[in-house]
Amino acid sequence: MARLVLHHKQPSFSLLPASSLSDFHATRFTSTSFQYKRKVWQPKGGLRVTALSSKKILIMGGTRFIGLFLSRLLVKEGHEVTLFTRGKAPITQQLPGETDTDYADFSSKILHLKGDRKDYDFVKTSLSARGFDVVYDINGREAEEVEPILDALPKLEQYIYCSSAGVYLKSDLLPHFETDAVDPKSRHKGKLETESLLESRDVNYTSIRPVYIYGPLNYNPVEEWFFHRLKAGRPIPIPNSGIQITQLGHVKDLATAFIKVLGNEKASKQVFNISGDKYVTFAGLAKACAKAAGFPEPEIIHYNPKEFDFGKKKAFPFRDQHFFASVDKAKSVLGWKPEFDLVGGLADSYNLDFGRGTFRKEADFFTDDMILGKSLVLT
Amino acid sequence: MATLHSSSCLLFTSPTSTHHPPPSLSPTSRLSLYSASTSTSASSHSFSLSISPSFLTRPKSSRRLSLSSFKVKAIAADKKKVLIVNTNSGGHAVIGFYFAKELLGSGHEVTIMTVGEESSDKMKKPPFNRFSEIVGAGGKTVWGDPTEIGKVLEGVTFDVVLDNNGKDLDAVRPVADWAKSSGVKQFLFISSAGIYKSTEEPPHVEGDVVKADAGHVGVEKYISEIFSSWASFRPQYMTGSGNNKDCEEWFFDRIVRGRPVPIPGSGMQLTNISHVRDLSSMLTLAVENSSAASGNIFNCVSDRAVTLDGMAKLCAKAAGLPVEIVHYDPKAVGVDAKKAFPFRNMHFYAEPRAAKDILGWQPSTNLPEDLKERYEEYVKIGRDKKPMKFEVDDKILESLKVPVAV
Repeated sequence: MARLVLHHKQPSFSLLPASSLSDFHATRFTSTSFQYKRKVWQPKGGLRVTALSSKKILIMGGTRFIGLFLSRLLVKEGHEVTLFTRGKAPITQQLPGETDTDYADFSSKILHLKGDRKDYDFVKTSLSARGFDVVYDINGREAEEVEPILDALPKLEQYIYCSSAGVYLKSDLLPHFETDAVDPKSRHKGKLETESLLESRDVNYTSIRPVYIYGPLNYNPVEEWFFHRLKAGRPIPIPNSGIQITQLGHVKDLATAFIKVLGNEKASKQVFNISGDKYVTFAGLAKACAKAAGFPEPEIIHYNPKEFDFGKKKAFPFRDQHFFASVDKAKSVLGWKPEFDLVGGLADSYNLDFGRGTFRKEADFFTDDMILGKSLVLT
Repeated sequence: MATLHSSSCLLFTSPTSTHHPPPSLSPTSRLSLYSASTSTSASSHSFSLSISPSFLTRPKSSRRLSLSSFKVKAIAADKKKVLIVNTNSGGHAVIGFYFAKELLGSGHEVTIMTVGEESSDKMKKPPFNRFSEIVGAGGKTVWGDPTEIGKVLEGVTFDVVLDNNGKDLDAVRPVADWAKSSGVKQFLFISSAGIYKSTEEPPHVEGDVVKADAGHVGVEKYISEIFSSWASFRPQYMTGSGNNKDCEEWFFDRIVRGRPVPIPGSGMQLTNISHVRDLSSMLTLAVENSSAASGNIFNCVSDRAVTLDGMAKLCAKAAGLPVEIVHYDPKAVGVDAKKAFPFRNMHFYAEPRAAKDILGWQPSTNLPEDLKERYEEYVKIGRDKKPMKFEVDDKILESLKVPVAV
């Protein structure tokens, strides 16, 4: 089995040069606020992690967004990676900016196990037949989906679960910490129940709770929603005050976090919030998208959502509340830190995706026009 | 009673503490490294890179530390002589009070010099009217003018000075210069998180851009130039017994009288309201881990922010009473936002990342619980029965009855 001996590098803590000590603006605290540079993230050269013996890894899902980046990192580290999918989407796709050689190398190594994870009998037999050391569950929603996996792999070393910060109970005291109260009635209660199951089954699990994920090939129209409007030269309609605070985390930083917890004792039975180092207001995000993509600062229109009936359509991509989580635990326990700042990360997404003419959802300005229509009537 | 945060007690679980620590390492500094690492679930090696090189080359005579003693006193193997130059009014006044008591509890020598005169009316208010607690704990209290500090403290030397008074270089320079000339090793300054430039990407973290013309910025620059061991602390709002300025009281005044609570804007603005004991514990850690603290800026706040609406609700909950929140636009009503409401009408939100990372500090502020205690005191002193006028409130409420033209 291939194994890589890699240079141990701690990307997260670096001493500032001694000369910075005399500059009172600089502190010895390595804040990422100093690193507002555009980062080019390359799985080949840019990321070095501690050598780990090669593992047989199963990814539930893995053919879009997080899985695309995570699977590449794992393969680069020399692990044997299998994707469990129904085969509806292509097993591999070349990433924007990925060289043909790298893509060919990756494609030749990645394995596919075709099946429906809801077919619990199949899951159990196929997994136990192959045996895996580690499972990354990227697309699990309900606790019962996890049971056959655990049953099939009694010697499983680690179950790494992609949960969600959506499990936190809404609060006036923020940010959310991993120890905060969770909401058993939330839309994400399946994730919560999965975490509880993992805890109760006494398996070595790690649960990652991202907030809003962004980056190239995002299938959730987060940044794309803003880019469509900016490109069309339209105002950005924002509900209420626009000072609601949210948080975006770059998919590549999330993938790095998933790697950091692999085989990591400190991650055993732990939950980690993973997202960007700083938060952002709704209005601030609109401006950051414009800045990242090279558009002029947008006109922002505020509206009261209660005055409209949008039906089933979503008028704004974020929940209309403060929603952000502290990533202090991941930083201090795992030595992980986000490499992308907001504008840099949005630029990465724009340059590799929307800016090249690709996006997942067509522009739909139906709700915008409702809002703008009403505003026109008033003035 | 303010005590050092428990993470410091974990010093004694380090195996190196049973014997003489390696002579090349300062015991307090080295052990603080491990205390940082054992707080919550931090990993020890993740902190090793953030400690300044100077700490490794400063030899100290090794000391024997008792493994069995978990008392806070034993940690401070280095007893310091600390001078606090304290403001005589305002939101920061209470910081010096708590800090003095915590240092004394840890076995340090403390002198607190309050600006002005002992006989002034200002001294009849908290925390000054409780200074007997400082004296009773072994501390010294003096009064005077910072520009004459050399005369006020003639012949006395200190290891550490905290300036909790000046907002600009004019006010602090005399103290800093005197400290430098009299051999003070560590200079600490209470600055303000208000100097951060407003941002749409909160929170304010150490290193973020500050307003260049802010007085505190000039002070930070100056002390960084003349002291090799310095640190600046940027607080926000505080709650705690002995406070010289109203905080939660503003909400209690209205809630307990069944009056609506007028909050400017959306009420979603986030702010930090920390219990002053957290500020005190951070300062104490900086004194006891001076080399780790040196050269750093620390946001002196708890790690949770609260919305303005949330604060009103928490105060009501602490009082066991209902609350009616009313939002308004200060400009539209024609009131001075600063007089109408005790907090800034904007996001004002900093996080204490440097203190957690570098000092291994952890906050203990628990607003829901702390406010209960505050409410008990509020009632105990009879403030709930005190006759009060709410002229500005009335103006706001009156104007809101007028329909707003679309």
